[in-house]
Amino acid sequence: MAIDEAILRNGQVHEGVPTVRFYGWVRPSVTVGYFQDIVKEVDLGFCSAQNIDVVRRPTGGKAVYHDADVTYSVVARERDEGFSSDITETYRVISACLLKGLGKLGIEAALVEEGRKHLASTGEAFCFSVPFKNELLLKGGKVCGSAQMRSQGLFLQHGSILIDLDLNRVAQVMAGGAEMIELMRRSVTALNNHAAHPVSEGRLVSALRQAFEDEMGVSVCDGTLTASECALKDSLLAEKYTTNRWNMEGKG
Amino acid sequence: MAAFPDDLLYTREHTWARVEDTIVTIGITDYAQENLGEIVSIELYPVDSSVKQGEPFGVIESDKASAELISPVSGDIINVNDDLYDDVGILECDHYDTGWMIAVDVRDLSELDNLLDSEEYEDFISQDVGED
Repeated sequence: MAIDEAILRNGQVHEGVPTVRFYGWVRPSVTVGYFQDIVKEVDLGFCSAQNIDVVRRPTGGKAVYHDADVTYSVVARERDEGFSSDITETYRVISACLLKGLGKLGIEAALVEEGRKHLASTGEAFCFSVPFKNELLLKGGKVCGSAQMRSQGLFLQHGSILIDLDLNRVAQVMAGGAEMIELMRRSVTALNNHAAHPVSEGRLVSALRQAFEDEMGVSVCDGTLTASECALKDSLLAEKYTTNRWNMEGKG
Repeated sequence: MAAFPDDLLYTREHTWARVEDTIVTIGITDYAQENLGEIVSIELYPVDSSVKQGEPFGVIESDKASAELISPVSGDIINVNDDLYDDVGILECDHYDTGWMIAVDVRDLSELDNLLDSEEYEDFISQDVGED
């Protein structure tokens, strides 16, 4: 999260290029949306006992459990080629890249035509139970959850693409029970539930990278954080993303 | 069609400013609200906070995205529309009047020269959506 935000903030001050990242997590983690009441939505005791990190995102939306997934993030100016200030269109553009990436692995996903309404029941706090228009469905189940943040002419969109899914584990993390598991069984899926050959993180990232190039007509070049991004990342880690004030209370 | 009252000034970050002496009342534009969609949450800096032109004074969340609310002016917040915490839906039907967000006592009125009038804001929007 600190890296994603550092790239965004740096872009607000310095001239930068659009950035796409694909990353994993050092250990299983939960990220929650900016406005979520973390105590109500996540079983913090279970997470602590299982050494699952819990961090609040700078983006909105619902909780996401990161384990067997690839997380992507895109940071760009609204006026960069291929993007705009239109939130829905930005989701569509990025989802088209993700869709193409999955297609390269022989996985035929589809974009959600119309988003489902929030469910007033168990599972509402879990991102994947609520697909939004232009998000990705695979055999009717949500396979990628994304969230977007806009500020000062730039946007950050990041999301989780599920490679494997342990429904029981997710329910434990979200303090849900049998009802949540049943809801997720109907509404959520993972790539390896449908892939002819097991999908690894490496294969997925390679396919996604190529897909961004093909779909947007750009070259995706390897890069590292700039000195200013690094410094921002370090200060965001120390002052925000490792603090209870931010993660538990949502106070930046 | 989005509406941009001509008695207001605007930022490129889609917030509006209503100027009355040194007090500037601030909210989000029609374009911002249409782009965001259904607003679900809002967080505004409290009274007595300082804000700077071009920097955030709060965060808003819709069913599509979260967005930082960018202040058109610098100064001290003297009033916050607490009604929005009771009913954030006000923003979807009346973002120029009862949907105001904060009022700021401005330190330097020359900052207003950096803002757009309604015609300039409409041109700015048109460029972004590719309209003629």
